[in-house]
Amino acid sequence: MTGPGATHRANAKRRSLIIVASVLVIVGLVSFLIQLSGSHPERAWQAYLINFLLWSAIAQGGLLFSAVMHITKARWSQPLQGLSESFAAFFPISFVLFLLLFLGSDYIFPWVDHDLHGKETWLNLPFLFSRDVTGLLVLYGLGLGYLYYALRLRREQIQPKGRIRSLLLEQWSKDQKDAAWCRSRMSLFSVLYIAAYALVLTLIAFDLVMSMEPHWFSTLFGPYHFVKAFYVGLGALIILASFFRLSQGEKSGLSVSHFHDLGKLFFAFCLLWADFFYCQLLVMWYGNISEEMRYVIQRTMIQPWNTLAWTVFVLCFIIPFVILLGQKVKTKPIVMAVLCSAVLVGIWLEHLLLLGPALNHDVTSVPLGFGDGLISLGFLGLMTIAVAGFLNLFPQAALVEAKGVNG
Amino acid sequence: MSQFSYAQIDKTVLDTLRPPSLVYWLIIFLLSLGVMTGAACWAYQTAVGIGAGGQNIPVAWGTYLINFVFWVGIAHSGTLISAILHLFRAGWRNPIARAAETMTVFAVCIAGLFPFIHLGRVWMVYYMLPYPNQRLLWPNFQSPLVFDVIAISTYLIVSILFWYTGLLPDLATVRDTAVGWRKRIFTILSMGWTGSHEQWRHYTRGYLFFAALATPLVISVHSVVSWDFALGIVPGWHSTLFAPYFVAGAIHSGLAMVLTLMIPMRKIFRFEAFINRDVLENIAKTIVFTGLIVGYAYMLEYFLAWYSHNVVEQEAFRWRAVGEYRMEFWVMVVCNTLIPLLFFVKRIRRSVPWLFGISVLINIGMWYERFVIIIGGVAHGFMPHAWGLYAPTGIELGILLGSFCLFFLLFLLFAKHLPSMSMTELKETLGNGGGHGR
Amino acid sequence: MADRSYVFGLFRDGNQAAAAIKALRDAPWNIDRVHSPFPHHGIFEALRVKKSRVGYFTLAGGVFGFFAGLALSIFTAVQWNLIVSGKPIVALIPFFIVGFECTILFSVLGNIVGFLTQARLPDFRGLKVYDPRCSEDRFGVVASCAKGEQEGLKAFFRERGGEVLLFDSSPVTADDGNAPHV
Repeated sequence: MTGPGATHRANAKRRSLIIVASVLVIVGLVSFLIQLSGSHPERAWQAYLINFLLWSAIAQGGLLFSAVMHITKARWSQPLQGLSESFAAFFPISFVLFLLLFLGSDYIFPWVDHDLHGKETWLNLPFLFSRDVTGLLVLYGLGLGYLYYALRLRREQIQPKGRIRSLLLEQWSKDQKDAAWCRSRMSLFSVLYIAAYALVLTLIAFDLVMSMEPHWFSTLFGPYHFVKAFYVGLGALIILASFFRLSQGEKSGLSVSHFHDLGKLFFAFCLLWADFFYCQLLVMWYGNISEEMRYVIQRTMIQPWNTLAWTVFVLCFIIPFVILLGQKVKTKPIVMAVLCSAVLVGIWLEHLLLLGPALNHDVTSVPLGFGDGLISLGFLGLMTIAVAGFLNLFPQAALVEAKGVNG
Repeated sequence: MSQFSYAQIDKTVLDTLRPPSLVYWLIIFLLSLGVMTGAACWAYQTAVGIGAGGQNIPVAWGTYLINFVFWVGIAHSGTLISAILHLFRAGWRNPIARAAETMTVFAVCIAGLFPFIHLGRVWMVYYMLPYPNQRLLWPNFQSPLVFDVIAISTYLIVSILFWYTGLLPDLATVRDTAVGWRKRIFTILSMGWTGSHEQWRHYTRGYLFFAALATPLVISVHSVVSWDFALGIVPGWHSTLFAPYFVAGAIHSGLAMVLTLMIPMRKIFRFEAFINRDVLENIAKTIVFTGLIVGYAYMLEYFLAWYSHNVVEQEAFRWRAVGEYRMEFWVMVVCNTLIPLLFFVKRIRRSVPWLFGISVLINIGMWYERFVIIIGGVAHGFMPHAWGLYAPTGIELGILLGSFCLFFLLFLLFAKHLPSMSMTELKETLGNGGGHGR
Repeated sequence: MADRSYVFGLFRDGNQAAAAIKALRDAPWNIDRVHSPFPHHGIFEALRVKKSRVGYFTLAGGVFGFFAGLALSIFTAVQWNLIVSGKPIVALIPFFIVGFECTILFSVLGNIVGFLTQARLPDFRGLKVYDPRCSEDRFGVVASCAKGEQEGLKAFFRERGGEVLLFDSSPVTADDGNAPHV
């Protein structure tokens, strides 16, 4: 930072950002409650579930970037890793949001009180919630553990201000450990986090998305979900990095090559997402088994959902693919931020596509309204508060280049 | 690495091209005998008919298909190492990239042989090619077997071109130190490469595109191989997971084969300083990763078979673990997912004998994985009265032996006649700290 | 061409060669070409080389391949309109695979054609005025000067730590537009 004036201005900016975000949260909450008390409470819960899935995926995938870069000993990604870790601040919120989902379980699980012909052993509410709560606790615990050691490694860059920071620094100064120790702890937690990421996101995908059609299954659905989560996580990371680059310029420590490399990674996961989508489609299309194809036909081949399917495909694959084929465009923060936002909207719609037909029977148009947008804005506000709040607490740790984070 | 000079790199690699010893020719001779055995078995099968193998109803796909999938899988890690790790700028790949690429080329060649061997009348193979014959018949482009023809031949062409492009500057280096007829041959092979800045300018760019194209190709090739099975509705085969799971398995087996080849090679050629323990350790770490993916896939298949409440699916998976082929199944599980976990122990993944032993076990495990999937799928299908078992005959085992001997024979011939480490990329790592164009 | 002489400065260190190239920009002589055992970053920066256009060939090959693959599978399917296992005659879902594989195949072929035509290979003329050590560990900077000025150029290379070789002609004409501008 250049001087007290600049720091002050930056803080004021962040504070106003948090105020705007809080307003968004209130707007989201109010519109959720209005819809809940209206004639279609299930629509409110549908929007809630979609947003829970999307924003949790962003947080989970966002942190995954840092963990993967750490374990592969990447050298190019260091200033981005602090940003990636800031998404972990959403973990506690995501956990609470999941617990609240229980209140809407009658609306969001179509199989409740249905005869499942033996599937009740897996699909019943107490077991579902207890295993998912355990899974999320493990995942978020490991993620926050990784974050803890990542912060500890950069403790010199943390100012002893405020209660949380002072407490942490005090504890760390009592028990002096060198950087190598912190790195080995980070490595341990990153391996565990990556493993938990794959397993827990598979579980979430099966329980909260696939089970909506209890007789349909696809073995790739879990991997599809966690690849998608990394895809949106990278997208959100690019948006965040673009925000810093555009507001701070060179001082942000983010160079053209960072955006180039991050853009390439985003492109790769765009392709992988499309590949996993295609792998499922192809196998089912060939097999043509009625209980499998019904799901696909309903979503991609007949009205009203097929329009939505094409929208999703264009937003999440065609547009990013064509644009990212170019090299220069990846280095332009503003273009990348817009593109990534489009992909995030696309993935939001993709969740609607997966869940919608199971939750809305005999509809003639895609159930999408103004209220859905407002509820989503509320979630955007929550994410903003989490990330901005974290970056407020540890501003230096996020962006200042810490040499040798990855060993 | 950094203790070397450019000249020492050249010397280390070029020393391997000196006239070989008698032992080398003896090994070559023994391997040739193995290849002859395989060829004789194939000739016998061609003469008496495809019944010389053990394939029969219901198991019409036997070891030939297993070997096909196995060798395509081996090929994959070469492209992974040379292309994907190049894109990720993982510098540790540079000393092993050449050998791994060569392995790819030979493994694809051998894999490509097996569909031929599987044909009773091999001279009819041209039916697979899309050309207007006298009845204007065309191959059915909706058939996964035709995808195979296209994918494997594309892979073969691309991996040869990629390999040769990488070799070009090194061929020039050999040319510049060789004399006599060897100089003449290498002059032609290196196409007049002088390393001028104009040549490098296009070379680095072209090489980058090669890597960028080889990456989706390698994923698509093994996906296509997996769809030979997954597109049918046979229980145990019809699974959306198959494509990524086969790709991960292919890389798993390929990396193990890289270790199996690299460990003796670095010893014989005194490459220890370049292919050092850090390189081997990195391969081992990657193997842990692919092994975990494969283990995750096994688990997922079981879980969803149970979750589906589909009786046929459940029976297929129950039988897999406790039926007639349970031995093969448990070999697969133990060798592919449990044994690689030993690499979590630092001492083991840095110990050369352990690395070598585990890599051989993974190769065996991956061969059995294909056995379990291919044989197990059709042997125990929908109708109990159509269940049946399969065992390979001596002829098939002879061909299996022949394929391994051919692979090692080709690799040995390569190692002694062409530079088996990329001198250019090693120098580049030394001078720039990165691979081509970095 | 006959009125020019070509002087070959051989350097052991890539950075020395790069420094010499930078200095040559201000000198009255022209850089003809630079041989190096690997693409050295410093040298490429000093030469200010432009990005290669190989990529256009690759892209053209890819676009051609994709449509060629699709066209081949559609064309063959409509020859007899045979329905196989209840699938549509023209089924884009599987034909995409054919298109994809052909995309990769033709991109790679385009890439090779692009590389060979742009880098002008094979071409053995270059070997006549070349030092074999350039593929081992030397960086060779070739500069040209008017006949009679060789001594100055030689001294220039020697001053900067190079070894000097002399040729009377250049095998590759430098006026193909891709030569570095000095």
